[in-house]
Amino acid sequence: MLALDIRNVNKSYPNFQLKNVSFQLEKGYIMGFIGANGAGKTTTIKSILNMTRMDSGEIHVFGKNMANHEFELKQEIGYAMGGAEFYTRCKVKALTDVIKKFYAHWDDETYRIYLRKFKLDENKRIAELSTGMKVKYSIAIALSHGAKLLILDEPTSGLDPVARDELLDIFQGLVADGEISILFSTHITSDLEKCADFITFIEDGQIVRSGEKEEFKESYLLLNGAATQLNQVKDRLISYKMNSFGFTGLILAGDYEHSWNMKAATPSLEEIMVYFAKKEDAYV
Amino acid sequence: MYNLVLKDVRLAVPPFFFILPFLIGALMLIPGWIYFIVLLYFCWITIPNLFNQFKAQNDLMFTSVLPVAKRDMVKARVAVIVGLELLHIVIAAIFGSISMVLYPDVTYYFFPPNMGFWGLNLVMLAIFNLIFIPMFYKTAYKFGWALFAAVTAAMLFAGIAQWLGIQSPVVNDLFYGTGTQQVTLQAFILIAGIMIFAALSIMASRLAVKRFLRVEL
Repeated sequence: MLALDIRNVNKSYPNFQLKNVSFQLEKGYIMGFIGANGAGKTTTIKSILNMTRMDSGEIHVFGKNMANHEFELKQEIGYAMGGAEFYTRCKVKALTDVIKKFYAHWDDETYRIYLRKFKLDENKRIAELSTGMKVKYSIAIALSHGAKLLILDEPTSGLDPVARDELLDIFQGLVADGEISILFSTHITSDLEKCADFITFIEDGQIVRSGEKEEFKESYLLLNGAATQLNQVKDRLISYKMNSFGFTGLILAGDYEHSWNMKAATPSLEEIMVYFAKKEDAYV
Repeated sequence: MYNLVLKDVRLAVPPFFFILPFLIGALMLIPGWIYFIVLLYFCWITIPNLFNQFKAQNDLMFTSVLPVAKRDMVKARVAVIVGLELLHIVIAAIFGSISMVLYPDVTYYFFPPNMGFWGLNLVMLAIFNLIFIPMFYKTAYKFGWALFAAVTAAMLFAGIAQWLGIQSPVVNDLFYGTGTQQVTLQAFILIAGIMIFAALSIMASRLAVKRFLRVEL
């Protein structure tokens, strides 16, 4: 079953456009949603949550159209935004008391369990929580109202490596029983190397590729060659960088020919992102 | 919608603004003062502070991820504003009655705090709502110009009404008179004020909903 099904979403702003954004997230998995700053990650997420009006396209959550079942579906969606601050002078307890009234399936017992698990002190003010604790608080809220789809917008940005690693373990634990699905937007690709099952890559408002993480990475190759070899492959490269040894460039695995006799390796997610960004720069 | 109103009362509106009507209302005890100012303080102090507070607390983003309709977000906010306005007016009216008992012989140059005067105040707040609320919901975060326009209109209304009350013998007799006929008319003005306040506030809410539905969050 699909937890999230996004089809042909278009949205135009004066200086930016989401173009035919489509991708699907299977129930019970973590999908990393990557792209540079300003590539369209947050706009896509806002479209999913009906916070922005799409020009065209459809969004289905657990098989139901978001536009027609917004309230029902928002009961099943948990949302956490890294760095977003709401009612920061308010105590955790007071904020929860207000939030829980909006959810039909709120479970106090579950909430208590996660408070203990995440070591959250209800009597602290939001401003007194560390960045990681704030994300944990959002997750505790989402799980207590029975959210089955978690949409996390850059939840790990601004966290130290220890806190990031701890959160990633939590995410993996949540999807383990196959009930909860996570869409996780970030530009910190190393987080996704650790925990994502699928990757969707957005660049300049368009989905470049969406698929299983290893397949995604293996669909590209990072070529290393001497400067004299560059002309031979230049047209097929997505983009390249010159260095003192020659060049390094990203190429679609299908475009690579063994006869070139160059060193080719599977790139990391970060390298894919960087070389795509470089391609964009070349057209500016 | 009830939960959204509750959210505003418990989180968004600081308790001070529920006490302020008592402090401002007590200004009605100044004998023969220009009492329009008492309710104008709501527009000058409460509204800008509240809307700054909503902005500072990121209330719009907080609310928009909750399972609520955009339409209800506006309606609940209007309900909170109207509720606070009514609180101000009722408390000021109570202090006004005390003031009239305390100083039975005072000569009122400006409007005395009778039913007719409260009718005028309701119309003044109705004008304020009709301008401020729809103008604010064009963006749902910028309130400066909306406040400027709405306060100007409310003050103009109060100024013109007061000027007529002093200059025009007919209006003066209507609002300052204490005879049975005048008091009956003042009661009608109060009822008309209540109706205008309700109608314009509902209209403001509807216009605001239409605009807010187009706002990108």
